[in-house]
Amino acid sequence: MKRSPMLFSCALLGLAALAWPMREVQAQSPSSARLQIGVLTSLTGSMAAPGVFQMNGFRLAVEEVNASGGLTIAGRSYSLELKVYDTRANPSEGASAMQRLATVDKVPVVLGELSSGVAAAIAPIAQDYSLPLVLTVPTGPNLTEQNNPFLFRVNAHNNQLNQALADFVSRQGWAPISFIAWNNDAGRGGVTGMRQLLPAATKDGYVGYFNVGELDFSSHVSNVRNSRAQAVMLFMDEEPGSLAIRQIRDAGLKTQIVGTLAMGSDRFLKRLDAQRLDGMVQYNAFPPNADVPRIRNFSQRYKAKYGEEAHGFAAQSYDGLMVAVAAMRAAGTVNNGKAIRDALARIRHQGVIGDIQFDAKGQAHPSVYVTQWCADGTRRILYPDSVKAGCGAG
Amino acid sequence: MRRIAIVPRALGVLALIGLLTAPVWAAGHPYVLHMLVLSCIVSIAAVGLNLMLGYGGLVSLGHMGFAGLGAYVAAVLMVDARWGFWSALGTAAIASAIAGALIGLICFRFRGHFFMIVTLAFGLLLHAVMNNWDDVTRGAAGLPGVPRPAAWRWGDTVISFGQLPNFYYLALAITLAVFALQYVVVRSDLGRVLGSIRQDERLARARGVNVIVFKTVVFALGSALAGVSGVLQVSFLRVAAPASFNMLESINTVLVVIVGGAGFLVGPAVGALLYVTLPEALRLANEWRLVIFGGLLVIMMLFAPQGIAGLAYTLWQRITGDRSAR
Amino acid sequence: MGEALLEQVINGLMMGSLYVLVALGMVLIYGVMHVVNFAHGVLFTLGGYVGVFCYQHLAPSYPLALLLSIASLAVLGLAIERLVFHPLDGNLRNQVIASLGLILFLENLIIAVWGATALQWKVASTEHLVSIGSLQFSAHHLGIIVITLALVAVLGVFLKYSRFGTAIRATSQSREAAIVVGIPVRRVQRSSFAIGCMLAGLGGGLVGPLFLVFPQMGDVPLVKGLAGILLGGMGSVPGAVVGGMLLGVTESVSTLFLPTDYRDSIAFMVMVLILLFRPQGLFGQRIRGED
Repeated sequence: MKRSPMLFSCALLGLAALAWPMREVQAQSPSSARLQIGVLTSLTGSMAAPGVFQMNGFRLAVEEVNASGGLTIAGRSYSLELKVYDTRANPSEGASAMQRLATVDKVPVVLGELSSGVAAAIAPIAQDYSLPLVLTVPTGPNLTEQNNPFLFRVNAHNNQLNQALADFVSRQGWAPISFIAWNNDAGRGGVTGMRQLLPAATKDGYVGYFNVGELDFSSHVSNVRNSRAQAVMLFMDEEPGSLAIRQIRDAGLKTQIVGTLAMGSDRFLKRLDAQRLDGMVQYNAFPPNADVPRIRNFSQRYKAKYGEEAHGFAAQSYDGLMVAVAAMRAAGTVNNGKAIRDALARIRHQGVIGDIQFDAKGQAHPSVYVTQWCADGTRRILYPDSVKAGCGAG
Repeated sequence: MRRIAIVPRALGVLALIGLLTAPVWAAGHPYVLHMLVLSCIVSIAAVGLNLMLGYGGLVSLGHMGFAGLGAYVAAVLMVDARWGFWSALGTAAIASAIAGALIGLICFRFRGHFFMIVTLAFGLLLHAVMNNWDDVTRGAAGLPGVPRPAAWRWGDTVISFGQLPNFYYLALAITLAVFALQYVVVRSDLGRVLGSIRQDERLARARGVNVIVFKTVVFALGSALAGVSGVLQVSFLRVAAPASFNMLESINTVLVVIVGGAGFLVGPAVGALLYVTLPEALRLANEWRLVIFGGLLVIMMLFAPQGIAGLAYTLWQRITGDRSAR
Repeated sequence: MGEALLEQVINGLMMGSLYVLVALGMVLIYGVMHVVNFAHGVLFTLGGYVGVFCYQHLAPSYPLALLLSIASLAVLGLAIERLVFHPLDGNLRNQVIASLGLILFLENLIIAVWGATALQWKVASTEHLVSIGSLQFSAHHLGIIVITLALVAVLGVFLKYSRFGTAIRATSQSREAAIVVGIPVRRVQRSSFAIGCMLAGLGGGLVGPLFLVFPQMGDVPLVKGLAGILLGGMGSVPGAVVGGMLLGVTESVSTLFLPTDYRDSIAFMVMVLILLFRPQGLFGQRIRGED
């Protein structure tokens, strides 16, 4: 049956009409010079939730820099703008977007990414085009082992995070310990690293992996119960984390729960409730209510802008952008990638997560904390001992 | 036998010249070259699927599984065993071909729906292996550090493939070879027999055609081409990741072949170019790109199942009054 | 060990119920129209989204949300059947490819409209806990099993004893003969498609509060539903039920012995093994020739 060409054209036009309003809008050109900072993140896909925190951090930083007069280099003033590409945790998209930032948008520096897989794909491109890349969330340890002078990382990687947590856990004497982890870089890396650091007595526990998108933890819960684990460590993000904890508690399992960076936020609390979370510990890059001026200050500003509690991902990203800006200022250029990279290598920057200084591999060494949820929905800091604090100050 | 008139031939030559001189006219816009390389990669896999689906009538929903197989074989060989690009490419192609033949043999026992479902299942299985076999593939995080082909040295000149224009020519050369292969296959006896199998399998069998052998050959060939595409992709991006070879990517490849025009020689090229460049041309917000493509696929199935190449061909026939059979 | 087994069997029955809902919808559509609707997974997802939308923006009544979700899926199903599947009737390849296009279209439309982060759907029945021996489950868990079994019973009675149900069965056996005896085949096709979509939507609405509502939530149930109908036998309604349940329970119980990251692969392997050794499934008929 031959379809009428008329109907066909109408259908195509309909589709075009659907697409037309969805075109990207070009921003209006203000009078002062604009400087685009490249950002790669996940706006959609499995990492969309942490992506929100990351973007919030970047946007807050940009707003503050612009409010205080922008970036002034050699007498010229630039107002900052973010050029964002959604990589959807797909290395191929990441590589394409990175290429574009380097050659079309010609940004001076690129920030971001969430997934270590994507970060591994974009790092060589940074080197190819002498474009400094500052990571603010990916935790894969081997990222900074590739001898890439243009790669810098503000956040702690898995080995650093695990070290702190293992230190804390081994003191608690929990044995055996079970693990439930995401079947990806963050999950597997976390488990492998942690098991190497923990004392032998804890090693008998069950280790379970689940694929991104899978939400039924019943089998894991059963296995954890059977292994009589005294603690179960969850290496995953907040979305599956909230479900895992709910299912663990709903099944009547009372073991100690240990979680990741992503499970310490207020947003996470809202997904569950204080009752189910009570007693759970997690490693944390940034306890928002800690009684430290730089932390308190940032939390207030973040809350004022976004109406919710700050989170480590946001703080790390904020610092990432600020350190990039500081490096450009120090190098006195917004075009010379090599000069900016050299400035980054030398820089010492006071960030909200602490002192930022990159070692020879481009890795910073921020503090790692361990926090615990209290029954009233606040947190307390348990580690390091020097900053221990009670409920409400974490 | 199709008559190829002057105008389409001239267009083809022009396109070829444009492609060969791309680094010149796109000198200030390396991103264009980047997109062309991606289009080459997509089109190679699409040619494989075109041979299977367009000419052989085999609707495989797991095509990217074979691309991933080839990609990872090459990646592991290049990264862990330090093989060169070309030996890795050859091995990967052979591996994909063998896998294609074996899996194809299992799949050919079924027709229609069952065939599609079982190819889907194998695609999913292959992806699960890539995602979970950490020791070899490094799992979901991907396998970084996949190198570009080693530089060619010739006396004093060094051609490094780390540079985009050089890699572009390499990709283009491989792509042209693949399209030439498609042409040869389609015009050969193999192509004709495939056509007869696609049109009426029972009749072909009744005429003495060993259907299984022919189907296996085309499945193996298509899978080998998918493998080549995978190898090129991971060398270009310097990372192998399972996300590039999942079920959705297999569906996207079907989209490319169908929208381009299944069963037409230029179909894969048209489809690949469209798939890679359309979002850029329209400056679509990312999430709407696939909405539009999905809608396009449905509309094309309803009104123009022969794809763009087919539409162009029909239009050409109307204009020239050419009534010769396809 | 016995306790762990019981826990996993009940979990398996719950997941199996979801697979059954998807499988039943697909088998109805397949039986009457001889096409596998690959877009069924996306319809499942839409069921969840419409449900949570109604719950959060209209009235916080879970039954109402479910009803509206089912109703809207029925309407959508009729539209899809009329606009996409019916015009392509007879051309299997194009129908399947069109359904693939629908997946891309609908799944990404959901992302564009509702965003990419998962939505949370808090409903009372997920908070109530029920104890079975020393095990604990949420009321919602068990509710899914009960609702599905009830629905299966109703559907079975409908198909076997009602007039229209018999018409559906007749059409699935032979369309030509059905036309000859005066059965309104077009109406049967439309209704079957609509019922199939309603079942998918119900599945999405039931699972939404238990886990999360997110754009890819239908992808896995699609594959499991497919495996379920292959296991049970294409075109067999009791087969879809048994196949779905069996698959769910097998998956859950397997995690007691096998590494859990390969749990999903069980469905794929089931598909391949069934096709290799018993293509007609457990209850299906060996159909000679096409399909």
